[in-house]
Amino acid sequence: MTQTGVRPRRLSLAEVRERLGPPDALVEAKILDRIDEHFRRFIAHSPFLSLATADAAGRADCSPRGDYPGFVKVLDEHTLAMPDRPGNKIADSFRNLAENDGVGLCFLVPGVRETLRVNGSAYATDEPDVLARMHTEGREAEMALIIEVEQAYFHCGRALVRSRLWDPASQALADEMPTAGELVTSQLGWDVDPKVVDEGLEDAYHTLY
Amino acid sequence: MQAQHTVIDRVDQVAEDVVSLVLRAATGPLAPWEPGAHIDLTLPNWLTRSYSLCGDPDDQERYRVAVRHDPLSRGGSEYIHHYFRPGRALEVSPPRNHFPLLPAPRYLFLAGGIGITPLLPMLAAAVAADIPATLVYVGRSTSTMPFAEGLRARYGDRVRLVATSEDGRPDLGTLAESLAPDALVYCCGPAPMIAAAQAVFPAERLHTERFRPAARTFAPNTPFDAVCARSGRTVPVAADQSLLDALKRAGYPVASGCREGVCGSCELTVLSGNPEHRDDIGAPAGRMYACVSRALTPELHLDL
Repeated sequence: MTQTGVRPRRLSLAEVRERLGPPDALVEAKILDRIDEHFRRFIAHSPFLSLATADAAGRADCSPRGDYPGFVKVLDEHTLAMPDRPGNKIADSFRNLAENDGVGLCFLVPGVRETLRVNGSAYATDEPDVLARMHTEGREAEMALIIEVEQAYFHCGRALVRSRLWDPASQALADEMPTAGELVTSQLGWDVDPKVVDEGLEDAYHTLY
Repeated sequence: MQAQHTVIDRVDQVAEDVVSLVLRAATGPLAPWEPGAHIDLTLPNWLTRSYSLCGDPDDQERYRVAVRHDPLSRGGSEYIHHYFRPGRALEVSPPRNHFPLLPAPRYLFLAGGIGITPLLPMLAAAVAADIPATLVYVGRSTSTMPFAEGLRARYGDRVRLVATSEDGRPDLGTLAESLAPDALVYCCGPAPMIAAAQAVFPAERLHTERFRPAARTFAPNTPFDAVCARSGRTVPVAADQSLLDALKRAGYPVASGCREGVCGSCELTVLSGNPEHRDDIGAPAGRMYACVSRALTPELHLDL
């Protein structure tokens, strides 16, 4: 924690650029305006992504989305569709998209160090032919997000290499974390056995669709 | 159910949007099968999909299936079409048969599109046994109908191809009127074709298989108890939960596949109690499919 009242120094973009040096020409060249066959393959094998949105004032939000690999459908090379599965019903992303349709997605494939970044605009749909492609375990998705792709590119793997994200040994970090029940009961000051909360969550996690 | 290890030997386009996969045994001979049987393929994207075997039942080294790329694919046929190439290792289930060819003095086979697959080995078996058989094979146009040319070449007049874009839909009523009284009818195709067949052929002589569950509505779910007789445990099944999920959660290793009552991987033996069958397979007496079926009695006693 920083000392009370003392904020870390803020850099201007010029100062940041000075420290980073010029952008790599190769990096700029690899940004496509569509989903080519390599990106399609990445999406077909990705079970997880982070979805970033922002409201009209630019206040940002980032939320995790996951399902079986390929849960995001490539409708054509400029259009993706992602099912909306039962979650916390807060609908932050949908509320933001109603005001500001910009989205950023970051796809992961377990074991692959590079990530796929997709930027564009998005809206909610209940189009039957789209939802039919998301029917799973006997249930339909009630809504889907249509993402109109403006930029797509592979992001180099350094962040995942440094973070040892796919190293099985990294899972030992979970042992150092409180359980969700311990965390919630402590944060909310609940006088209940954290185990009860954990068991409740475990129950909820069995209803995924 | 022991998974079998295979390697994709060939991937051939056999019609518009249809590929045939030949799977070669990787370890020892493949489990035997009879016409009408299907296998489940376990795909790298964690999905399991069932396909009818359409090769030669005498070949213990190879299975053949054919897969149509469904434009509304949830990730099964699309994955196979985009990413399956020869040389890939693939786990497949042993064959199961919910559509067996019963003995009869003559047969009428009725195929719609990719529904030809289970009927191919049936027709071959009937012809090999010198049993009179007719195949009426319906599709949008011959280019969308896998194996159409080969069938005509091999079986001649026993095969009638109907391209609906040119010939319109076949008149099943006329077929039913001219059906010999001792013939059995085997029909596999899209839901409208199965419904049309059910409307004109006598139910006791018509055998059908569908690719996707029929659209039906059921009484609201009620909770019930699954009594697992062998292990002496009772597993409560909540109204919003499937029997399959409840059993899996309780630690029972029940296999699962389509989760919509079509493939039959989650078959269980019922010792007592009345199941409410919601599958499209037609569970034999004393069996049920845990993914969709529920209970009409407060308890089901299962052989688990």
